[in-house]
Amino acid sequence: MITVVVVLLVSLLLYNKFVKSAEDNAYLNIQQIIDQVNSHLELYVKGMQDIYEVVEQQIGQTGNISDSLLKEQLTTLLHTREDLVSLALFTPDGQMVLDVPDETMRRNTQLKEQSWYQTALKQPQTVSFSQPHIQNLYKGQYKWVVSLSRMITYKQDGVLKKGILLVDVNFRTIDELSSKVSLGKKGYAYIIDDAGNIIYHPQQQLIYAGLKYENIEPVFDYAFGSYIDYSTKDERYITIRTVKPIGWKIVGVAYPNEIVTTKRDLQVFLTWFLVVVITVVLLISIYVSAKISQPIRRLEKAVKQVGQGDFNTPIDVKGAYEVVQLSKRFNLMLHQTRQLMSQIIVEQEAKRKSELDVLQAQINPHFLYNTLNSVIRLVERGEKEEVVTAITSLSKLFRISLSKGMNMITLGEELEHVRHYLIIQKIRYKSKFNYTMDVQDEALSCITLKLIIQPIVENAIYHGIELMPDEGSIAIAVKVEGDSVVISVTDNGLGMSEEVMSQLLTGSVKNTSGSGVGVKNVHERIQLYYGEAYGLTFMSELEEGTTVFITLPVVRNDHHVVNMEGDV
Amino acid sequence: MTKTLKKFMLIIIFIMLLLVSCSDTSSQLHKTDKSYKVSMIVKMDSGAFWNTVKMGAEIAAKEYNVELTFLGPDSEDDIEEQIRLVNGAILKKTDAIILSAGDYMKLAQVTDRAGFHKIPVLSMDTEVASARVKTYIGTNNYEAGQKAAERLIELMHGEGQIGLVSFVKGARNADERASGMLDYIARFPKVEVVDTVYCGSNVQLAANLTNEMIRKYPHIKGIIALNEIAGIGVSQEVSRLGLGGKVKIVTFDSPPEVMEMLQEGIVQGTVIQNPYSNGYLAVKHAVEVLEGIHVPERVDTGSKLIDLDNMLWPENQKQLFPFVR
Repeated sequence: MITVVVVLLVSLLLYNKFVKSAEDNAYLNIQQIIDQVNSHLELYVKGMQDIYEVVEQQIGQTGNISDSLLKEQLTTLLHTREDLVSLALFTPDGQMVLDVPDETMRRNTQLKEQSWYQTALKQPQTVSFSQPHIQNLYKGQYKWVVSLSRMITYKQDGVLKKGILLVDVNFRTIDELSSKVSLGKKGYAYIIDDAGNIIYHPQQQLIYAGLKYENIEPVFDYAFGSYIDYSTKDERYITIRTVKPIGWKIVGVAYPNEIVTTKRDLQVFLTWFLVVVITVVLLISIYVSAKISQPIRRLEKAVKQVGQGDFNTPIDVKGAYEVVQLSKRFNLMLHQTRQLMSQIIVEQEAKRKSELDVLQAQINPHFLYNTLNSVIRLVERGEKEEVVTAITSLSKLFRISLSKGMNMITLGEELEHVRHYLIIQKIRYKSKFNYTMDVQDEALSCITLKLIIQPIVENAIYHGIELMPDEGSIAIAVKVEGDSVVISVTDNGLGMSEEVMSQLLTGSVKNTSGSGVGVKNVHERIQLYYGEAYGLTFMSELEEGTTVFITLPVVRNDHHVVNMEGDV
Repeated sequence: MTKTLKKFMLIIIFIMLLLVSCSDTSSQLHKTDKSYKVSMIVKMDSGAFWNTVKMGAEIAAKEYNVELTFLGPDSEDDIEEQIRLVNGAILKKTDAIILSAGDYMKLAQVTDRAGFHKIPVLSMDTEVASARVKTYIGTNNYEAGQKAAERLIELMHGEGQIGLVSFVKGARNADERASGMLDYIARFPKVEVVDTVYCGSNVQLAANLTNEMIRKYPHIKGIIALNEIAGIGVSQEVSRLGLGGKVKIVTFDSPPEVMEMLQEGIVQGTVIQNPYSNGYLAVKHAVEVLEGIHVPERVDTGSKLIDLDNMLWPENQKQLFPFVR
């Protein structure tokens, strides 16, 4: 749309500028043509005047007009100029004194009635130029001539006399010069004398026949200049120049509507040009926008599909480079999303499974049964205090392991849980082992997953200490090391081989006894919650014992700190 | 994709070229729209009279943007050739024909044929016997004949024998001039037309016929020559016989030869027509006919009697001597 407007504007501007300069040029051109004709004519007239003067001089110098030498001289002069028709000298009463060339006169010449004769009598001082007329003095062709005439003095047999010198110049030169002027197709030039008589007009006959009319009157107001004449149907551009020596006016007539024709041509061309350009621009823009928008629309559709949950259709959009890139990126993104989603699904499943395991561990019936058995034995033996300790620990153990259904508890609570577990186990195993807990205070307020230490301790008891002949010991230490909390559970039990150790976390070692929450479960849970940087590491030597390190991030929760303080 | 793009671009360029070329041709059409082809077929393709006609026609052709073809047989009595020329113009599918019929009847058929082909025909100078003709442009020949007769009878002081040298039998303008003249002469009982001859627009024949006529009727006081060729022949013969001024001559048209005779006093008067106007108006009206503008049925371009007294009047000079030599 903008392009169309711009194209229109530009072409309008161009058109105006072009038309204006074309008009100016045309007018200037016309003026130059007329100027040229004018200078030609001036030169020509000047030349004729010079000849007239030469003739006059020669006649003046000669003592006797009938001298044959004079006639010879004048004949030579006549032959030098092709357009000189004749030279003649008449007495004021019309008698011929001298004529060159020597032709027979016609009868009935009526020369006294001719204008050159009359003006010479009227204005004896200046050389007058007559209107072009038919020279009827001599036999032979009738020629159109312009007559130069003046009263001069000549000597006849030494007597000074007055006479009229007539020099006839062929009109053809002027006629040809003027008729060659073409101003556009229809334009022309005409010449009038200072009295308004037509000297030359290409349509002179039509004007005499009344078929044409030339508006001469306004021309008199100008000696030099141009104007637009509105007197005729078509307006006309008139240029006037004056041939100075004789007062003739050259009038150039041009038709501005011819210039308008070029204007119209230009209009037609421009219109077509515009139509073509606009069509092309529109076509291109439609094409381009289709080229761009279509893939975008397809992309949009695909994205919508994805939005509706269909992650499996890959987007295959072709088009501009950007769009292709966009769709490629989108596909990549889709792929990643898909991967992430399946990952999440797997993780969620694992989490749920481990949570279920934890739930089972919370109410491990086997453990409960064993513990209760121990309590029964204590009761039978009448060890009251031991019974109270055992029951109290059991109850606390369960309280913490349930912990209002929360997954996360403070490390303090977790250690509390382990402590109670150890108390119960100690009662069960009749002090077959000792335990120590070395905990940094800083670490107590850290948040942790619950039931991560207890399974390790359980392992230590079942696999490390139970089978030992001597008294075992379990040392639990908690330290904050930078960003992580490291919990180590060390026993001095049987230890295990590298082989067994390496298989522990991959889950190939099956453990049927125990709380059911295996080492692997703990490791997985930690990694699911905190990432792969965390989890379990082992250090073990056969017959020496095993240390399990649990690495967790330091996560603090003020709320939990308060809670924990209340509990402990 | 780039392939389709290229194809698309090619198509666009093609369309552009097509449109541009279309615009060019359409603007040319616009011009030729106005430029008509007009054939002007006259009686003869030479002579001062017909050259003046041509000059006027060419001026109009330039003014009205007409492609003008000017045709004529070599001789005024070659009617067959003129018919061939008209047929040729019809075959060339010219837009309009301007005809100056050498024979009133013989060119009627071919004129009808042009009308059948929907080519308008305009009569100029001389009429043709066809209803298809749109208009007649030329002198009122009857009136012109009367003018000639009037002047001759004046010169003969109302009595004496008169000879008539016409040009082609059957040419309508000659017939009309003759009948105008005869009708006028009929008012003067003392004037008698003793002989009528046809020179076929041949100067020599005209001179010979004049010689015969003068020998046959030695008391003949006046001769009327009905066109320029006849006028030249008659005046030359009268001059040769030394009868200048004794046998009064009134002729038609203004070739330089006749003008010379006029100044020498051998020819006493000539009725001039307006060949320049004929040519100009014929082309102008042809264009008007083609444009569907109504044109008058007859356009009289006038006639004028020229004698020694008025031959040098400026307005007559241009008409008598149309060519600047």
